[in-house]
Amino acid sequence: MSAEPVIQIRNLTKIYRDFWGRKKVRALNSLSLDVYRGEVFGLLGPNGSGKTTTMKLLLGLLFPTEGDITILGRPATDVGKNEKIGYLPEESYLYRFLNADETLDFYGRLFDMPAAERKRRTDELIKEVDIEHARRRQLKEYSKGMTRRIGLAQALINNPDLVLLDEPTSGLDPQGSRFMKDLILKLKAQGKTVVMSSHLLADVQDVCDRIAILYGGELKELGRVDELLKEQGVTQIRTDKLTPEAIAEVEAVLAKHNAKVQSVDHPTNSLEELFLKTIRRSQERPGQRYVPEGADAAKPPQS
Amino acid sequence: MLGLSLQPVDFDLVAGLVRWALAFGVIAIVSIIVAIVTSFAMYGAVGPARVGAGLGQAVRDFTSISARRVLAISSLTFKEAIRRKALLVFVVFGVLFMFASWFLTGDSNRPELDVEVYVGFVFTAVSWLVLPVAMLLACWGIPEDIRVRSLHTVVTKPARRNEVVIGRMLGFSAISTLIVAVMGVVGYVWIVRQVPDSVPLICRVPIYGNIQFLDRTGAEGKGVNVGDIVEIRQFVEGGSKAAAIWEFPMPAGEPEKLRLESRFEAFRTYKGDMNRTLRVRYTLLNPAKKIEVPLPVFNVAEFSQNELDVDRKVEFKNEKGKVETFDLYKDLITDGKLTVKVQCLDRGQYIGVSIGDFFVRQLPDRSFAFGYWKAMFGIWLMIILIVMIGVTASCFVKGPIATLLCFCMVVLGQPAHDFMDKVVSGKQVGGGALESVYRLVTQMNQTVPLPEGGLATAIQTLDRVPSETLRLASNVIPDLRSFWMAGWVGKGLDVPWAGALLPSIAVTLGFALPCILLGYFSLILRELEAK
Ligand SMILES: Nc1ncnc2c1ncn2[C@@H]1O[C@H](COP(=O)(O)OP(=O)(O)O)[C@@H](O)[C@H]1O
Ligand SMILES: [Mg+2]
Repeated sequence: MSAEPVIQIRNLTKIYRDFWGRKKVRALNSLSLDVYRGEVFGLLGPNGSGKTTTMKLLLGLLFPTEGDITILGRPATDVGKNEKIGYLPEESYLYRFLNADETLDFYGRLFDMPAAERKRRTDELIKEVDIEHARRRQLKEYSKGMTRRIGLAQALINNPDLVLLDEPTSGLDPQGSRFMKDLILKLKAQGKTVVMSSHLLADVQDVCDRIAILYGGELKELGRVDELLKEQGVTQIRTDKLTPEAIAEVEAVLAKHNAKVQSVDHPTNSLEELFLKTIRRSQERPGQRYVPEGADAAKPPQS
Repeated sequence: MLGLSLQPVDFDLVAGLVRWALAFGVIAIVSIIVAIVTSFAMYGAVGPARVGAGLGQAVRDFTSISARRVLAISSLTFKEAIRRKALLVFVVFGVLFMFASWFLTGDSNRPELDVEVYVGFVFTAVSWLVLPVAMLLACWGIPEDIRVRSLHTVVTKPARRNEVVIGRMLGFSAISTLIVAVMGVVGYVWIVRQVPDSVPLICRVPIYGNIQFLDRTGAEGKGVNVGDIVEIRQFVEGGSKAAAIWEFPMPAGEPEKLRLESRFEAFRTYKGDMNRTLRVRYTLLNPAKKIEVPLPVFNVAEFSQNELDVDRKVEFKNEKGKVETFDLYKDLITDGKLTVKVQCLDRGQYIGVSIGDFFVRQLPDRSFAFGYWKAMFGIWLMIILIVMIGVTASCFVKGPIATLLCFCMVVLGQPAHDFMDKVVSGKQVGGGALESVYRLVTQMNQTVPLPEGGLATAIQTLDRVPSETLRLASNVIPDLRSFWMAGWVGKGLDVPWAGALLPSIAVTLGFALPCILLGYFSLILRELEAK
């Protein structure tokens, strides 16, 4: 992995206005972050925290109120950048009267692919997302899970370098969600950069190298998942199962070192805990933002 | 306008192009200036730079259009229209024709008038059925695409916004073409079956000419205006030297026979025997060689055609009773022009003539189908134009407003052109604004002409400024008057090229580029988010 930024967001603010131009919602407030080539980056936040807004700004579907975006070295409004981008919208916004074959063929044509290549790619992707049984059925007959699968297939039709997935696992059953996560890891293995958003913590924890936690349109945390989850000031020792006498002895040793056993079981800290803690802190002290400059955690992952 | 005189007004392509370029240029320059000023007000110095970048992007987008992407979007549009049950319009069409077959059965004594009714019905039915379908499809396509956000998935591919606009236009045009074609075939078969075999379905190819009048003394002048409500019809007094003289531009080629065809109105100054004859004579003239060849006298057949064939060799007995022979092409047609004088021979009678009442019929006739499909092509052009305007409107407003806008432009806006024609040609009684004020102040009657002189010229010139501006602005509304060609077909006439087809094609093409540009910039400048 390299430190080459694929996405650079600087002081991005988005205020939604109504028809008359009056300010309605400040959906993003001065967001700055970088996404580096080859990583899986998670945008984590509760509903309405600005994840979708960020994605749409990246794609040029919305225009920033303030701030700059560079994506694949180009401004967000440049259509040319789309050649190398795959986008899965929040709900797969596809043409419901087309079947899976027609859908992939249509999006393939938008990439100016010749017919033979479209055919090959369509077959490949339909197999990959496992909807071969339904490829001739109109999308309006599809279940939520199947719609996500065909949505993912259309996002990958051009073999993109950068994949933006907006809530890829929402509404999926555990099996579907597992499938989606495996696919994301596969994309990462192929060297692609993935940006995904989610409010489902387990998904982010499973696949993301780094995450940004958004709340109320502001960046609250940013860093490597494993580092963010490491609790400072606590040492965790795992052993085989101990007898009560053994535990008493260990406690005695610890007492000698002025330490105290805090808990005996629950060895892991979960992302859920971190997430809720972050949100709680934000509510207690509104307006406090995470500023990435200089912070170790904002550095690209080294491995 | 069509009912009275079929004489088409030839479209001046060069003047049309100049007006188009002027309107387009003015609007484009004003838009760019407005864009620069507002962007400067909003973003400061970087604003105009962004406008420049946007224009550069536009140039790149238009020079790198991909046919594959455009076709992908247009075939998607076609499929979508079919899934939206646009073809249900055929059911309405079928029902309409079932009823029409019952109610429009020809029991009139004037079968050629029936043809006009049938043709009028078919064209009215087709246009009024396809028009709302095309308009609704075109005006709702993109807004729905934005509302359900399927457009998001399209524009996050390398599809350019101009490709979206053009693809949509082509797709809706394709479905409209299918509908017009099917309805056209059905309408044609219906007319052919509806008209009894005894009535020929024809398509005459007329050559229209210029008209000039001689007054009762034989001097050049206007015909007598007997106070008919229609001013364009002049009256030629019988039994005098009064005459109407037509000059026809003859096409190349020397057919063995020409047919002179007329449809004059008889006007009797006394109520007598209505069956009294009204005799008319044509005289072929060659003013250069001073040749005059009177043709046989005939009785005017009122409300129907007078036909007189002229052979290549024309013979007549002169005053001395000697037979003279002339060659139509060598002796009579000069500089490609055939001159014919029309006189009424009965004293106390008048014939009412207007420029389109008399024409040379080129033989052989064309087939009825040929004229029919030309007129259907006119309907098709109109539908295409409506699709373009609808798609353009739908790029910046939602479906209902786009529909309203489109409807206003193509239906409600039409009288604007009649009005503009009046204003510009100065037929509006009392003149323009300044002239009206002048008349008011000097208490001059509206119909009295202004006194000659510098003041009058100045007033009238200044009065032309707002009217010319208005005329330029009125170009934003398409002038659809030439698109309705069924009148000719119903009367068994060919649809003229310069009088109907050319202006219709020119108007349609003239709207294409501005529509595409406007649609493109609307989609570029707005967030594709349903509000
Ligand atoms: N089109 C819109 N118009 C007005 N407000 C919007 C619009 N889209 C989103 N918002 C608001 O912006 C905020 C962020 O929304 P969003 O980016 O969709 O959040 P997320 O994807 O994290 O759930 C929310 O308060 C939402 O109500
Ligand atoms: Mg969202």
